[in-house]
Amino acid sequence: MSDSTPFLKVNSVTRRFGGVVAVDNVSFELQRGELFGLIGPNGAGKTTLFNIITGLTAPTAGQINFRGQDITRFPPHRIATLGIARTFQNIRLWSNLSALQNVMIARHTHTRVGVVSGVLGLPGAAAEERKTRERALEILELLGLVDRLDERSRNLSYGDQRRLEIARALALEPQLLLLDEPAAGMNPNEKQTLSDFIRQLREQFDLTILIIEHHVPLVMGLCNRVAVLDFGELIALGDPFQVQNDPAVIEAYLGDETALDKTKPRTRVRK
Amino acid sequence: MDFGHLLQQILNGLSIGSVYAIFALGYTLVFSILRIINLSHGAVFTLGAYFTYTLTGEPFGFNGVLARAALPFGLPFPLAMLTGGLVAGLVGVAIERFAFRPLRERGADPLLTLVSSLGVAVVLVNVIQYLVGAEIYSYPGNVLNTFGNVPAAINFGSDTNAIPVRTVQIVIFIFSLIILALLTYFINRTKIGKALRAIAEDPVTASLLGINVDRFVLLTFFLSGFLGGLAGTLVGLSVSIAGPYFGIAFGLKGLAVIVLGGLGSIPGAMLGGLIIGLAEAFVPAELVAYKEVIAFALLFLILLIRPRGLLGRAAAQKV
Amino acid sequence: MSMNEFLSTYGALIVGMVLAAILALSLYLPLMAGQLSLASPGFYALGGYIAAVLSTKVLLQNGQAISPFPVHLLLFEMLLAGIIAGLLAVLVGVLALRLRGIYLALATIAFVEILRVLSLNLDITGGAIGIFSIPQPFTNAIQYLLIAAPLLLLSAAFVYRLERVRAGRALLAIREDELAADTMGINPTFYKVAAFTLGAALASMVGALSAHFLNTWNARQGTFDASIAYLAFVLVGGSRTFLGPIAGGMLLTALPEFLRAVAGIGGLPGWLSQFLREGRLIIDGLLIVLVTIYFPQGLITPDLFKRRRKAAEKKES
Repeated sequence: MSDSTPFLKVNSVTRRFGGVVAVDNVSFELQRGELFGLIGPNGAGKTTLFNIITGLTAPTAGQINFRGQDITRFPPHRIATLGIARTFQNIRLWSNLSALQNVMIARHTHTRVGVVSGVLGLPGAAAEERKTRERALEILELLGLVDRLDERSRNLSYGDQRRLEIARALALEPQLLLLDEPAAGMNPNEKQTLSDFIRQLREQFDLTILIIEHHVPLVMGLCNRVAVLDFGELIALGDPFQVQNDPAVIEAYLGDETALDKTKPRTRVRK
Repeated sequence: MDFGHLLQQILNGLSIGSVYAIFALGYTLVFSILRIINLSHGAVFTLGAYFTYTLTGEPFGFNGVLARAALPFGLPFPLAMLTGGLVAGLVGVAIERFAFRPLRERGADPLLTLVSSLGVAVVLVNVIQYLVGAEIYSYPGNVLNTFGNVPAAINFGSDTNAIPVRTVQIVIFIFSLIILALLTYFINRTKIGKALRAIAEDPVTASLLGINVDRFVLLTFFLSGFLGGLAGTLVGLSVSIAGPYFGIAFGLKGLAVIVLGGLGSIPGAMLGGLIIGLAEAFVPAELVAYKEVIAFALLFLILLIRPRGLLGRAAAQKV
Repeated sequence: MSMNEFLSTYGALIVGMVLAAILALSLYLPLMAGQLSLASPGFYALGGYIAAVLSTKVLLQNGQAISPFPVHLLLFEMLLAGIIAGLLAVLVGVLALRLRGIYLALATIAFVEILRVLSLNLDITGGAIGIFSIPQPFTNAIQYLLIAAPLLLLSAAFVYRLERVRAGRALLAIREDELAADTMGINPTFYKVAAFTLGAALASMVGALSAHFLNTWNARQGTFDASIAYLAFVLVGGSRTFLGPIAGGMLLTALPEFLRAVAGIGGLPGWLSQFLREGRLIIDGLLIVLVTIYFPQGLITPDLFKRRRKAAEKKES
């Protein structure tokens, strides 16, 4: 892979649901090692875009390229094998399984042991089983969850569940990590801790991170570049300061956030 | 195939198809409002047929705990049928109250409700068998003679080229059409029908608008049971009551109808019923034994190719 | 009662209980992946027919069925039944397992019904009458345990181990949230089809054995009723641990016998004793409803073991 090949390339991606255009001809590129933010009002198409990248939804038009490979039509599990992991806006842990099990399962693609040798408990399988467990424990430790490893994940606190989702995604040993509103439900202190933590993650695991976030200041302080979606369209792309001062963005999103008059319907302003 | 034959088969197909449609509507009503498949519908269908039989004053057979018992009076058939339907409706309400509501209040997976309904079906059908045995019952002949002297068959052809169609089939078909029309009018034009549709769209909003969802759920189950009971009686009239299990087979076929037509779609249920009725009618004589398979083969096929059926809405999945 | 008397009276029941436990496990496998498959009876019937046809029409000596039937041939039949069922299951599974929840349950119901009607009408299956005079390898019913018991132990051990290794965890993940499992690198279709196929093969092997055990085989083996019965085994016994189906299968098979014995006690009103004798399905149905509402995980749950372990740990400290 040459240096000029973008790490992730979203190329003219469009997604229609019946009459609604959820994502409208969106294009951008990620460089390796970037911390990239995706912001926009609710319903702007951000999560849909995540779903397209991770293979949960197929785009109506356009392609997704990851490290030079066209992954547009790949099934989610194959995309995971290639090194893209994600968290979900509405937590999707395996709720009746323990925290440890949640993380161990995510080691699936990095373990090879077959069913037969596993069930028979052959030495190779047993060793790999041990390694899986150790690795999972390491990650839980890193996320501060190791003292709750046997708890059913549905019994964990909201904040812990969010962290467990990140732990699970990390267990996949991804190269690209997609975080969908990781700071939802956190107070300002927690958001700051999370922000530092995400930066630390990037360093420690050599990750490229794409974040959807609602809380604009978090994204502004954390990301190298930011893209703004509104009604499925990409209306701004650049470094945080640029974007923050882009009039179109202010009108569509930032202005809205500060406006107290929430009864006014958001209307689309055509340029 | 000559025209006479064709006409006969079409009429037969439409006749049985319209009964399938009535039966399937019971399923659809419940599914569209509550997103659950009520597999006890087939048992309620059976109960309706048996209730009507009892209400006509006929005695039971030799097996079962209630061997040879009979009511001391007998209602004329149309009245017995309606009453049987009403009682079936009440049974539907009882089933909802005891087997479904606890699950719904817990927000349980629809699959659990399906399983629960399966249990109810098994209980009901076997209780019938326990009480009255598994013999074949037929409604008293000349049921149609309540309204005067009606011939057993009507000739659609000429004297030389007779195309007889059993009057019963014609009556059933016409009656079913009336029921379907009434139901469509009810759902689309009356206030109650509108409320039901609102609940089907969005129960939370509906209740915020002042609609007493629980009461409408009961109404839905009553209607569904009533329709099922009616259908049971009609089938019993058309062929005979072939033992308590005839509802189970019908129930399974009803599933094929609603999946074909589209889960939750009322016009779909009607369309599905007619299609399967006609498909069965056109099975060539040599393959008559495989007639039963048609509905299930269609069910399987539809599930593979287009699970949402002909007129159903695609289910959206939220991530 | 002497041991011999006990074995001869209850031998058939014990074998029946063991076979029921294995059938319950065959339903448990797809259920581990969250798939409610009501298809086991279909494969059970298929296996039985394979054994019946082979032993009465194919594996003949001088034009007659071999009696006593050699055990190695019985094992061969079971293996063949497992393989054929497995292949059919892969085919059906790949087609039908894209469906979820209710749709899958309906598809499996349809599948079983299609098989049942086919078996009622094909010549080779003997039509409605079925196949009878299937040769026996053993003289006493209890001797079937020689094959049934190891099969149960093997399947139970397999499922027990499965839950503790990578493949089993993948199944659980699919059950809990298939979408998330997909996103985390687990191929749901592969695992669902695999679980379904294993369950089918197991049910088919039991069928092959049962054909000899019951001596006759017909379309009534693969009915919707049977689906209910197996479902009851797993739901009542416990759907979250491998011991559940085993317990459920054994209990619910023994229960009607027990009730029948109770019915024989003098002094019971006629309707009650008849109910106890014939009400097996009513009881199954009631149990299903009650368990779904009040014990959604069945009687034997993983929590039971956790609590006992915690209590033991408390005692030690």
